[in-house]
Amino acid sequence: MTGSITKRPDQFSETAIDDEIVVMSLASGTFFSLAGTGRSIWQLLDRHSDRPVLLAELGREYGRDESAIATEFDEFVASLEQAGLVACS
Amino acid sequence: MQPARPATQSMRLMAQETRAEHGPVPRSLGGHDVPPGYEMFADGQYLLRCASGYGYHYRPGCGIMIERPSSLCDPDEEYLWLNGSVYAAAACLNGLYPVHASAVEYAGRVFAFTGPSGAGKSTLVAALGQLGLPLFCDDTLLLDLTEPGAVMALPGHKRLKLTEHALALTGLMGEQPVGAETGKSYVAPPAGASAEPLPLAALVVLEQGPELRWAPVSGAQRLLVLDEDHHVQRLYTTALRPARAELFATRARIAAHVAMARLTRPHDAASFTAVTQLALDHILQSGTPA
Repeated sequence: MTGSITKRPDQFSETAIDDEIVVMSLASGTFFSLAGTGRSIWQLLDRHSDRPVLLAELGREYGRDESAIATEFDEFVASLEQAGLVACS
Repeated sequence: MQPARPATQSMRLMAQETRAEHGPVPRSLGGHDVPPGYEMFADGQYLLRCASGYGYHYRPGCGIMIERPSSLCDPDEEYLWLNGSVYAAAACLNGLYPVHASAVEYAGRVFAFTGPSGAGKSTLVAALGQLGLPLFCDDTLLLDLTEPGAVMALPGHKRLKLTEHALALTGLMGEQPVGAETGKSYVAPPAGASAEPLPLAALVVLEQGPELRWAPVSGAQRLLVLDEDHHVQRLYTTALRPARAELFATRARIAAHVAMARLTRPHDAASFTAVTQLALDHILQSGTPA
């Protein structure tokens, strides 16, 4: 995973329902329901784009070591990128 | 996006827009032929030509023109088309969001039951009427999303109809048959009917299953509930052709404001009283002001 991750707001619509954030790909119409850590990462992407900063913030929020969550983080971001919701560089 | 307007204004608009008169309807719309048995939205208008010979043409600002067949007329069929597909089409073209649902009123809010035809929507609201809840609508629920921060429902325009089976379940008496071949009868709502727009509190999906169960629906699942309403949703999207983001925003607003649940129950007479009581309990519980 590289260093910068940014949302692609022209590629999705989002809304909050109960404890979930629902993101719809405008290209495919597919829904993504984000809860828990997925929701946290999505919200962190509104404030940060640097992977190390994102990992540090997420680790702080969940009281986990960054190295312990890096793999899960990268897999989630990869799924967002595959859906066209974020751009990684 | 529709301009903001009070729901009472939407009611007046619908009353004005669905005034009907009789005369010839066009055979085409937007340059396309519409043969008997087909319907079409084009140029902001709606044309329905029934296989029986009835025709309906809605044009905003001009109301509904009804063409009767040259052969024998059937007033019941005329009423059913006019208050079914044609009314819903006019509602869509005026920015209202239709849901295939029957509903009751409690404590100034609306509790609606949705599901495919035959799911038991009318039967349940009739039974809840016997327990004192006024009928809000039967079969078609119109939502007005023009008031900021609220999902308002417009009271129904159709008479309550029940099958022979539903009459037997509820013990209600039919007032008169609905046409010759529908197998349904018009029924007076036992607790009367609502006449004013009210906020929609809950939308409950009626499903068939082995055990009686009430399961709340949360998060993204609420959007899926709204997506299940295939026939009425097709009418809405065909009428307005909303962009994907616009339709998502509309459904998201409903999903954020309206509680949802799935009511699963055996479809047998022995369970009917328990089903009605369970629905009533949840309505009383969620409808009680805090």
